[in-house]
Amino acid sequence: MRISRIVSEGVQSLGANKLRTFFMMAGTIVGIAALTVIMAMGKGTEKSVMKRVNNFGIRSIMVTAGGGKGMSPPEEGITTLRLEDLEAIRNQVSGIEVISPGVMKRGASIKAGASQTQATVFAVEPEWYDAWDWYVQSGDPISAEDTSTMARTCNLGTTLSRTLFGGASPIGEYIQIENTRFLVKGVLESKGTSPMGTDFDYRVLIPLTTGMRRLLNQDHISYIRVKVKDPKDLTGIGEEIRKILHERHHITPPQEDDFSIVTAADVAKAARGISGTLSILLIALAALSLIVGGIVLMNILLISVSERVKEIGLRRALGATQSDIFRQFLAESLVITLLGMLIGCALGWGASMLVGMFIKAPIVISWEPFALAVVFSLMVGLFFGIQPARRAARLKPIEALR
Amino acid sequence: MIEVSDLEKTYNSGAVATQVLKGVSFRIEAGEYVAIMGTSGTGKSTLMNIIGCLDKLTSGRYSLNGTEVGELDDNALSHLRNHEIGFVFQQFHLLSRASALKNVMLPLIYSDEYPEDAEERATKMLESVGLADRVTYRPSELSGGQQQRVAIARALVTRPSLILADEPTGNLDRRSGLEVLAIFRQLNREGHTIIMVTHDEAVAEHADRIIQLKEGRVASDRAVPEPRDPEKEIVSLKEEAQ
Repeated sequence: MRISRIVSEGVQSLGANKLRTFFMMAGTIVGIAALTVIMAMGKGTEKSVMKRVNNFGIRSIMVTAGGGKGMSPPEEGITTLRLEDLEAIRNQVSGIEVISPGVMKRGASIKAGASQTQATVFAVEPEWYDAWDWYVQSGDPISAEDTSTMARTCNLGTTLSRTLFGGASPIGEYIQIENTRFLVKGVLESKGTSPMGTDFDYRVLIPLTTGMRRLLNQDHISYIRVKVKDPKDLTGIGEEIRKILHERHHITPPQEDDFSIVTAADVAKAARGISGTLSILLIALAALSLIVGGIVLMNILLISVSERVKEIGLRRALGATQSDIFRQFLAESLVITLLGMLIGCALGWGASMLVGMFIKAPIVISWEPFALAVVFSLMVGLFFGIQPARRAARLKPIEALR
Repeated sequence: MIEVSDLEKTYNSGAVATQVLKGVSFRIEAGEYVAIMGTSGTGKSTLMNIIGCLDKLTSGRYSLNGTEVGELDDNALSHLRNHEIGFVFQQFHLLSRASALKNVMLPLIYSDEYPEDAEERATKMLESVGLADRVTYRPSELSGGQQQRVAIARALVTRPSLILADEPTGNLDRRSGLEVLAIFRQLNREGHTIIMVTHDEAVAEHADRIIQLKEGRVASDRAVPEPRDPEKEIVSLKEEAQ
């Protein structure tokens, strides 16, 4: 085909002047490499954000006793968060799938036979399992009957179970929590450790009523866990809950809250930190280097057109039409940017791997930067190639041959 | 096959209009070997550009093989140059980075149907101008005479009806010039129409007919009773050297 012959002429002329070709490619290489790294890092960050959010619960809101910002654990001295608050929220807020209260006691002494340790005790209702998407791996969960009868039953986390009973099954065995005997009904699924190093599996679940009446003798709760139906409502429901609690606790801002509300959306925002802003900045830099590279490309192409006036004139004399010349020069520009893109992608890919290895930043390598690079480099090649190609095509053969 | 009548060409540069051709008329039949002669500034290059479909005429008529060239657009002119005309330039105009073979194949790239045997054809053309052993050489590795012969091979590769040579010997030593002229004579014998533009009477006398231009007009148009024989001159040149 004529067009393939024309393109091949362009490619041959690029191959004939390798240094010039390299300079024309440089901007695209840098821009695309930067873009690839940024996207790999961006996706890596997003992945770790999603992991944090998943750990927290995608549709979850935590209302904890005690003020303060962020995701601090409940303050044990705060007594204002109560089951009545939970009832009010349950009755007044729509869009909630599960709502579950909890009382938390850190550093409770736990004994089983000769083994002794300290662990966190969570006094919960049967909805706890659904609210946390966390179920027993063996045995039975805390039941409604357990809470209504203030039963002395419990579930163990896996690592705590191992500490107390070694490899043996704890189900049917008894443990002592602060000198009260509890029957182990089940073992929870393992959740591993948090990024901060907290072991999620070093815990005991007991019925809420048992915890509040028998163990701690308190009327307040430590937290309320809410699971909404639609993650889009997270922020809205969070605000509704805040309003209800303000009213019930007689708080008027700027008076400080005696509770804190953290939604999955807040977790995501905190986990992203400045990485969003940073990656916008870096993308702007990459775009800038593509544009600068494009301008350099255009300049060298323009110089090359004036250097090759005689060649263009000759080709015209031998029968090349204006569009043949136009296509040849545009092909040169596009081939350069596409080649630069391939090199840039490879470089960026390698750089991403290095970054991932040495600074332990989360890196995800995917096809998207490649697709984006194709689009960007074609745009640069077209945009900055058209003007030189047009100038070449418009040369008059007799003037060019002179 | 070539007919020009009352051909005029005016160049406008700024406010100044320069009339270079002031009504040129002649007719060249297929198979002729014609020299267009004139001192510089007589419009012979302009005439050659118009005949070569590189430039447009201002007024008058030019028909090439029955086609009214004056009415054609740029694409049609390109097509005509590719299919009907083989150019030979004073400065050879070869692509310096391409081999002799690639240079000869260049016009085929722009032909409507790229011949499957393009490479073979180009090789044959190089053989016919005596460069069978220089196929892969680049222009810088060839002498001037050899370069001009590559250019002639290139001019022939599309099998044009007309060969248009602009001072083909102008940049060559006497011996190489004569070799080029010998090729032209041979091509003419084979039936090619050749128009050669030159300022040099000794070169022009190798053609069968000389059209002399003067100040944009045809001053004389005469047959050469006994055209010079390049072969003989080469022989006598060799004898001189000994």
